[in-house]
Amino acid sequence: MSTEKLKETIQKVFPDVECVICWQEGFDKLHTTPLFITTPDQTEKVVWNLLCVQNLAAYLPSLKKKIAVVVKGCDSRTIVQFMQEGLIDRSNVVVIGIPCRGVVSVKKVLAAVGQQPIEDVKVSDGNIIVKTPKGEKTLAIADVSPGKCKTCQYPTPVIYDFLVGEPIESDKPAASVYDDVREFEKLSLAERKAYFEKEFGKCIRCYACRNACPMCVCQDSCIAETRDPHWITQKMTPEEKMMFHMIHSVHLAGRCVECGECERVCPMDIPVAKLKKKINSAMKELFDYVPGVNPDDKPPMYTFNVDEVKIKEHKL
Amino acid sequence: MADTGFLPKEKIKEFLEALSKDTVVYVPTKEGETAAFKVYSPDAEICLDRPANIPPKSVIYPQCETLLSFEYKKTDPDDPKKMAVEVRAETNYPKAVIFGCRPCDAKGFAIYDRVFLDTDTADPYYREHREKTTIISLACEAPFAGCFCVAVGGGPADTAGSDVLMTEVDKGYYLEALTEKGRAALSVPVIEDGASYKAAAEKIKTEARAKVKNPFPADATEKVSPKLFDTDEFWQQVTNKCVSCGACTYLCPTCYCFNITDEQALSKGERIRTWDACMFRHFTLEASGHNPRPTKSRRFRNRVGHKFSYYPEKYNGAIACCGCGRCIRYCPVSVDISEVVGYLKDPKQDPATWVATNTKAVKDGSL
Amino acid sequence: MTDNCTCNNGKNPYLPEIATVTRIIEETPNIRSFQVVFNDAEKMKNFTFEPGQVGQLSVFGVGESTFVINSPPTRMEYLQVSVMKAGEVTAALHNIYEGDQIGVRAPLGNWFPYNDMKGKNILFIGGGIGLAPLRTLILYMLDNRADYKDITIIYGARTPPDLCYKDDIKEWESRSDVNLILTVDVEFPGWEKRIGFVPTVLKEVAPKPDNTIAITCGPPIMIKFVLEGLAGLKFPEENIVTTLEARMKCGIGICGRCNMGHKYICKDGPVFTLAQLNELPEI
Repeated sequence: MSTEKLKETIQKVFPDVECVICWQEGFDKLHTTPLFITTPDQTEKVVWNLLCVQNLAAYLPSLKKKIAVVVKGCDSRTIVQFMQEGLIDRSNVVVIGIPCRGVVSVKKVLAAVGQQPIEDVKVSDGNIIVKTPKGEKTLAIADVSPGKCKTCQYPTPVIYDFLVGEPIESDKPAASVYDDVREFEKLSLAERKAYFEKEFGKCIRCYACRNACPMCVCQDSCIAETRDPHWITQKMTPEEKMMFHMIHSVHLAGRCVECGECERVCPMDIPVAKLKKKINSAMKELFDYVPGVNPDDKPPMYTFNVDEVKIKEHKL
Repeated sequence: MADTGFLPKEKIKEFLEALSKDTVVYVPTKEGETAAFKVYSPDAEICLDRPANIPPKSVIYPQCETLLSFEYKKTDPDDPKKMAVEVRAETNYPKAVIFGCRPCDAKGFAIYDRVFLDTDTADPYYREHREKTTIISLACEAPFAGCFCVAVGGGPADTAGSDVLMTEVDKGYYLEALTEKGRAALSVPVIEDGASYKAAAEKIKTEARAKVKNPFPADATEKVSPKLFDTDEFWQQVTNKCVSCGACTYLCPTCYCFNITDEQALSKGERIRTWDACMFRHFTLEASGHNPRPTKSRRFRNRVGHKFSYYPEKYNGAIACCGCGRCIRYCPVSVDISEVVGYLKDPKQDPATWVATNTKAVKDGSL
Repeated sequence: MTDNCTCNNGKNPYLPEIATVTRIIEETPNIRSFQVVFNDAEKMKNFTFEPGQVGQLSVFGVGESTFVINSPPTRMEYLQVSVMKAGEVTAALHNIYEGDQIGVRAPLGNWFPYNDMKGKNILFIGGGIGLAPLRTLILYMLDNRADYKDITIIYGARTPPDLCYKDDIKEWESRSDVNLILTVDVEFPGWEKRIGFVPTVLKEVAPKPDNTIAITCGPPIMIKFVLEGLAGLKFPEENIVTTLEARMKCGIGICGRCNMGHKYICKDGPVFTLAQLNELPEI
């Protein structure tokens, strides 16, 4: 699917909306950045490629006007989850869906080239060819794609008003989605504790993970900083940091659509999505619920029914 | 004591061991792909080939600093409500060395010195950390992604804020002492005579400087354009994509905004100073509910304004940005401050035309 | 206190002085005044401040908040602040008793340029708790009455119970050398005096700008309309003085919160003339 087709769709949609959110080239060849199109001639800046990693649907709840947004499959689940929770007015959103076979993880590419500054990036034959001052390196896209792409069940957006390209079926087994959780659970409790102490020890409480998360809507009332109730102090101890991440993950139980933004944006490379995936796998087992797929679903933790429909008690 | 020296590559650990005898030595340490300053240990994987993810500002300006501790004590056995409070403030920080940071990291401390020391309300905590810490910076051979140090008055071999400047030459590092503390560090026995390496080091510094790009227009104005500064539509357009996190602030060597909170458990507690970010929504939120900086555009304007306008106005033109590029590299959505400042310094910018051709700005909802 | 601080010879701008609350006055349903005296008698004796300066008051364990010292430096048996219950620290202050101990970091900020006001007419315009910073200057001027010409005070609140400093108001009403004009926003049983918002009353009174300094403080919306009113009455911008507030933490002009451009409200303010404010970017 070419960038040209996307530009055509955007130009078609533009007169009916205040703004179209899509991607443009970022500060270097390895980065894209969100583009908010508010005048027609900005359309020429649009790009679509496997560097378009940001989840643009995250901007929707804070924009009250009529907006069009370009979404990949994982991003589109965000929109469905917003609909389940009443966080957006569906009639105010025009969804431009793009089927996607996967993006690359900027962090993995940079790790593969020794964190060198990027001079050029080309894609060909399932490879990404990266040029740095130290030379050129060819990387298999499969080796530098994020975990979420390796188990993607929704390569075609689950909701759209326009689909740019032909729908694609997933070629990844559904059972593989929580393979990483199962793998981690093979560690002993002591090993797991040591792992999280080390990882969250790096946390600088910048809240990039929290702010990039589309479902995180507590805003100024976030328990990370509120004093009424005063759950967490501002001290930089492992306990305080771990407490924030645990509460944040629990707040996302049954709501996290696994877009992976939290882990992508962490400047200290902490695998923050691990806790959320574990909770999601528990939600799947306990409630047979997958977030962000069916707009008519209600997230199980969102409501309290005395007679819980679908709950499988005592299973875990 | 000598003004210059040479540290052979194979003797780095020996040097750090020697320093560790009576100081706490912080080195950029790799954990996986993350490089952060940690206390030196012999099995640490020292990372000198690129700037650390986070600068060493926490060594001198800790992310969490106890300003004072307090304890409530009952004073009347017959009246449990009667209490007195005892307050203590203590500083007894160890001597420290920061080894292997970059000149942009060290420049941050030069920025802080004016704020925390050059005032009638000097900060005793910062002063003690600063006086007890020796900074050994490593000059850069080439720019990193997003670097623009030269354009903001710095450079890959800038000396502001450092006590020693190291330049990598063949087989080791050429060392230049810049202060008394620096000279003391060079007196460690493993440091050899440096005079013969000076010419090679100067060549590397000159070549490195030429490689750093300048993101501002060739005819950039000295100061940022006050008219574009006051144009709301400009700021709304550049901050549409910002998510109001604190990554840029916490990773920035020159940012220093902070919060003061009391944390109490039972009858004892501490008043702590912690890093805070003017990019957070609630940074200026008042108890009445009024927020003078309620929108991303206002907050980002304050951040850029502080670095490129307010601080220079107060301190004789010194820019409170070292051009390290971390805010650009680590921003979740790649907001590029050098691009924004480039617009502000463009003498051809007419705000009205810019607004007409670049925006019908999308106003940020109620946030 | 010095021996409780081992840093920098005890010179520590973050370290509060411990003070005891000697008297609490309920001004209105949600405003209390606190009279405090330093535990260190020597420090209390040597303490000086100027009218308009503020202090950061601590309830240890809860936090600090900024309040103007609204007693004048001519009456130094105690320091008085007035606290409106709004957030965490002010709620904690409303929960303490006479005899309790708090922390005080004072004096902070700049002060009213009262020397430049000598020989002039003074027009005070206050709303609600905005009378607090004005009170320190009013009392200071009354204690130095001969230095100033006509003193007019326009003061209003939502309802009569919301008027602060009711004892002071009685005294000012009885003095012939002070022109006190009181108003409340709405009709209220038993209230026989003026009814109207402070900016409206300002227009009605229509004071002349000649040789007059106008000093105003109150809710932001009131200040906005008062400034417009004073402009309409042709008051020059250098002769209009106000005192601002914002969320504050350090109180010494560095933490990044209350700055307007490079000037901090806590250090370069809180007192500004309108002319100075117009030179500065918004917060």
